[in-house]
Amino acid sequence: MEFFEDHYLRLVTFLFEGAVQPALYHLGLMEWAEDGYDWLDFFLFGLLQVGVVYVICRPLEAWRPVERGQSARAVRTDVVYTLLARLGLLPLLGFVLFAATQVRLEALVADSGWIPPTLEGVFPSLRETPLLAFAVYVVVLDFFEYWRHRFQHEWRWWWSLHAIHHAQVHMTFWTDDRNHVLDEVLAAAWLAGLAVLLGVPPGQFPIILMVLRLAESVSHANARIHFGWLGERLLVSPRFHRLHHGVLSIGASGKNYAVLLPIWDWVFGTADFRRDAFPHTGAPGTPEAYSRGGWLRQQIEGVRQLARVLRGRGEKPQAPRVPAE
Amino acid sequence: MSLSFMWRAFYPMLLCLALAVPANADMVFVLNSGDASISVLDARERSELRRMPALREVHHAVLTPDGSTLVVGDSGGNELIFLDPSTGELRNRVRVSNPYHLEYSPDGKYLVVASLRRDQVDIYDAGTMALLGRLQQPDKPSHIAFSPDSRFVYVTLQGTGEVVAIDLSTRAAAWTVAVGPEPAGIIWHRGRLIIGLMGSTDFVQLDPTTKAVSRAFSVGRGAHVVVPSPDGRSLYATARVESGLWEVDAETLEVKRRFDVPGGPDCISFDPDGRLWMTLRWLGRVGVLDPRTGTLEQIRVGRSPHGIFVMPRRDGMRADFAAIMPGAVSGSRPLPRPLQARQGEIPADRPVPPVMSAAPSLAPGPSVQPTRNSRRAGLDMPILTVTPVRVETFR
Repeated sequence: MEFFEDHYLRLVTFLFEGAVQPALYHLGLMEWAEDGYDWLDFFLFGLLQVGVVYVICRPLEAWRPVERGQSARAVRTDVVYTLLARLGLLPLLGFVLFAATQVRLEALVADSGWIPPTLEGVFPSLRETPLLAFAVYVVVLDFFEYWRHRFQHEWRWWWSLHAIHHAQVHMTFWTDDRNHVLDEVLAAAWLAGLAVLLGVPPGQFPIILMVLRLAESVSHANARIHFGWLGERLLVSPRFHRLHHGVLSIGASGKNYAVLLPIWDWVFGTADFRRDAFPHTGAPGTPEAYSRGGWLRQQIEGVRQLARVLRGRGEKPQAPRVPAE
Repeated sequence: MSLSFMWRAFYPMLLCLALAVPANADMVFVLNSGDASISVLDARERSELRRMPALREVHHAVLTPDGSTLVVGDSGGNELIFLDPSTGELRNRVRVSNPYHLEYSPDGKYLVVASLRRDQVDIYDAGTMALLGRLQQPDKPSHIAFSPDSRFVYVTLQGTGEVVAIDLSTRAAAWTVAVGPEPAGIIWHRGRLIIGLMGSTDFVQLDPTTKAVSRAFSVGRGAHVVVPSPDGRSLYATARVESGLWEVDAETLEVKRRFDVPGGPDCISFDPDGRLWMTLRWLGRVGVLDPRTGTLEQIRVGRSPHGIFVMPRRDGMRADFAAIMPGAVSGSRPLPRPLQARQGEIPADRPVPPVMSAAPSLAPGPSVQPTRNSRRAGLDMPILTVTPVRVETFR
């Protein structure tokens, strides 16, 4: 592992010192040098993530596909979403637009005397075991992600954006990042709010982060795979999450909201553990652009739909009577 | 006897065993900002003894005024970590807002903390850690230096290209002066401030009385930090874009030598033998440069190592061994005069030799012609460029 880490660092350093840092210098942006290094790291790690996810998920989809003959065009749109999200272009845009605001908010928080806590501060024994602390953060944040996901479905204005994620009728592992930009902004704000209340999780476990990311991609894979009686209750599987994306599970009528740990659905009564159900995916009743449009068209239509709902003209999402497979 | 009691009883012993290093082996603390940890190195074996977890993002460390405690700022974790520098044992933690760079006043009364991300400078009572004042700054307060009389603290403002002087008697900004693009490191040196401009090749000098700013010396692109050698004869300056280290005559401010140091050299700490221990920020390593021989060794540490501190473990030598040496009158915490050696205390025994007098003869041979760098800097004098011949990597 150290061998790979060493070579990875050398590559990051080579590119940073050879290209990124000189460019920042010439642009008079050296004050952003450390952020530039972080972004390069994010970009290369994102590239590595996409590669790892592809190498693992693509064979799974070829081995046991739920649906054959998927539209290459529809999948390409999801690839665009993934590359924009994972290679740092959208986060970079967000950073440029919101960095100053974030600094002001942080200063405001600091000025108020409030110092954001950490879970390790509440449970000091976690300090000596960063890996355990990380695991606790994963569980706690997954709990809040479950509820964010439920609100995305239950609040009509939020659903008008999140429906883009669900409108994909050719769901593959690429679909994981298919989210409207405003939906991503809301997710970031949600996490920022949690950071003020709970602290931010430690970020020193890139390999584990990659595994978690892989698990989320696998859950979207077009693969007829379940993890067995016990496994289905421990980790979100392709079957478990496909049921959430099923046409009977749109809007407020959803099931299986968990992102990583199905226990939240179990606890809050939204779980469906049928292991033989692999329904068609999609969000009937949403605009045609949501399922057939390209990235830009979906973004524009998403804003339009949000405006309609906010003006009170949006339609309540309804689950059509389409039988599961 | 309960197991937990036994564990508590034996824990200090186990900790000592874990940190046990051969007699007279110095210890080095390296703050890995990228993976929230502190590496403890055996300076003699060039090996990592232990990696201590921190909370989020450790950047800089300073000694308390009495030299007894190493204070580490964890900016992302919003806390200061107080360590025993001779063992690495945790003494205390204090919650403060986003401590990025920090320094004690020379009189030991104040601890000033700069928060790069939150655009603020905090003044604490060093004894009680009570927050005495918070000054909002326009953009990215970065590095801190004091005047020897402890009246003023000077802070570089990276975002606006300025230095702000804060009067500690009123706890208010006394004046602000534009110094150049993206100032970073700052030290007090012989009645003036020396400031590295990351957006240029220059270190500038600022006269705090007249507020006049002029070029002090030039290095490579991305001038960053400067530190005085313990013997007071040299300053060592780093540049980030042209990754290297420059040795500067402390009296004349003439550049004497350049060492090519890959990986973005950042913070520097001296060992008692005059070697420079510096973090190589982008490489995840520490570089150990012996200026007498030009030998550069590398030791693997955590990601994005930033702050560094060498703890001597030699008879009669304290953590603040440099405070009794001539170089103590310069730096971010300049003393009015070097401290008197305490009974039984010995100064560092092998200081760095005078510049140029022992210039190493290294392949491919020291250049005595003006380099592209010196011409760009507008210097008439040649710069002796030394490329380290031996780069050894230890794990």
